[in-house]
Amino acid sequence: MGHPLFRLEIQNYEDWSLKVHQKLVPQRVPLGGSIEVTWRCPNKCVHCYNNLPMNDKDARCSELTYKEHCRILDEITEAGCLWLLYTGGEIFARKDFLDIYTYAKKKGLLISLFTNGTLITPEIADYLVQWRPFSIEITLYGQTKETHDKITGIPGSFKKCLNGVQLLLERNLPLTLKTVVLTLNKHELWEMKSFVEKELGIEFRFDAMISPRLDCSHSPLAVRLKPHEVLELDLQDLKRVEEWKKFAKDLSGYVIPPEQKDKLYQCGGGDVSFAIDPSGRLSICNFLPGNTWDLRKGSFQKGWENFLLEVKSKTITRHTKYVDCEIVAMCGMCPANGELENGDAEEPVDFLCQVAHLRAYAFDIPVPSHGDCEYCEGGKDFRKLMQSVEALHQGKNSTGSNQLLTNICT
Amino acid sequence: MDISMMCYKKENDFVTRNIKGETIIVPVKGHVSDLDSIYTLDEVGTFIWQFLDGQTSIKQIVKTVCNEYDISPEEAEKDIIELVGSLEKAGLIHASANNQRE
Repeated sequence: MGHPLFRLEIQNYEDWSLKVHQKLVPQRVPLGGSIEVTWRCPNKCVHCYNNLPMNDKDARCSELTYKEHCRILDEITEAGCLWLLYTGGEIFARKDFLDIYTYAKKKGLLISLFTNGTLITPEIADYLVQWRPFSIEITLYGQTKETHDKITGIPGSFKKCLNGVQLLLERNLPLTLKTVVLTLNKHELWEMKSFVEKELGIEFRFDAMISPRLDCSHSPLAVRLKPHEVLELDLQDLKRVEEWKKFAKDLSGYVIPPEQKDKLYQCGGGDVSFAIDPSGRLSICNFLPGNTWDLRKGSFQKGWENFLLEVKSKTITRHTKYVDCEIVAMCGMCPANGELENGDAEEPVDFLCQVAHLRAYAFDIPVPSHGDCEYCEGGKDFRKLMQSVEALHQGKNSTGSNQLLTNICT
Repeated sequence: MDISMMCYKKENDFVTRNIKGETIIVPVKGHVSDLDSIYTLDEVGTFIWQFLDGQTSIKQIVKTVCNEYDISPEEAEKDIIELVGSLEKAGLIHASANNQRE
């Protein structure tokens, strides 16, 4: 007698997830999706790319109804979606969010929730215990109410956010805190990290990459850090340094297959993931304005199998330095960033180019030649960039005396 | 009690997903963390899973499986009882009130 014919396997989540991706990604299954249930939000964060006021009647009227959400959930699960992110705006700004969420849970989706935490009540937290999400992420904007509330524009939002955090933690829900580092809260980053990791005992992440708003306003960029400040943060966190080094090692030697080289979109959007905005427009990414399929008029299946496939097949129209850049993963430049910042999906975003090169030079990652790039060896800004890296390695931060750091990258 | 006469029923707190032949059992309700573990069934396990409806006895499942697959009744019964035991231990099914059905 050999192996039993029928088997139930109990697998470690990470192993299983890897196996599922390896098996299903080549089959172009829409495994992961994000749905923005609303763009309305009680906060008015200065850096946000899509927030609208809570009382924005037009926004509210254009949002998908509960029934429309259910129909879309039926369709995406039928197509094979397994991981779903609910985000906003603020998800709990919708009074019926938990109804939508429960329907999604019953479909067997592994659901992540992005929220600012301010609208979480004991009742909502209890409900989430009953219908446990895969993960919850809350963004903390500062370690003090002055900083946090300055960014959100709402006095009292810091207190409400921490209250939400507490309610979830008391119930042992799977919570992670994160922040987006801006000129307004940079000085409190390490205090935030320490508070979250040591006092709250949970994971903390930060990111300094922000983009213009979907409505084309560049207002968020007013509070964006300078490229060297982004690197300065990387270097101050040993764990982050190790992660970048590992990332670079994993990345080294990777070459985009020749048949992929002329594709405009190199990410997994439209291949393995999708995004849906509050009014039901399907796209490959929440950050990509235009190129949407209206799920009110056509099915998800048609949108995924025909429309998004066509979007993904778009090719580049010109050869920018971005096309051959092998360190692009160090900054995350993509057509969505180009579109939002330059109004041109193919135009490299200068801020991101600087961040990528700074990171590469700081972590000793080779930068193969990739066309006419001012930040590569021989380029007009190469020397300035290297001086900046040197200064950062010497530990001279932007608040110190080294004028290089404030002169460079501006 | 003759175990082959017993019926088993899926717990309500789980949903079965079948994605391109990959069957997974996802916890949806209760104090189960999604991240703790993921239950997956192979092709034949998935075939059996559909009969765990609280109405069909193991004996009946054995008969159906033998009609569908090239396996002896003795071998099928042994493996099905083993699978049902694993599923019950994992809290995915329970013995049904409709036990002892022919």
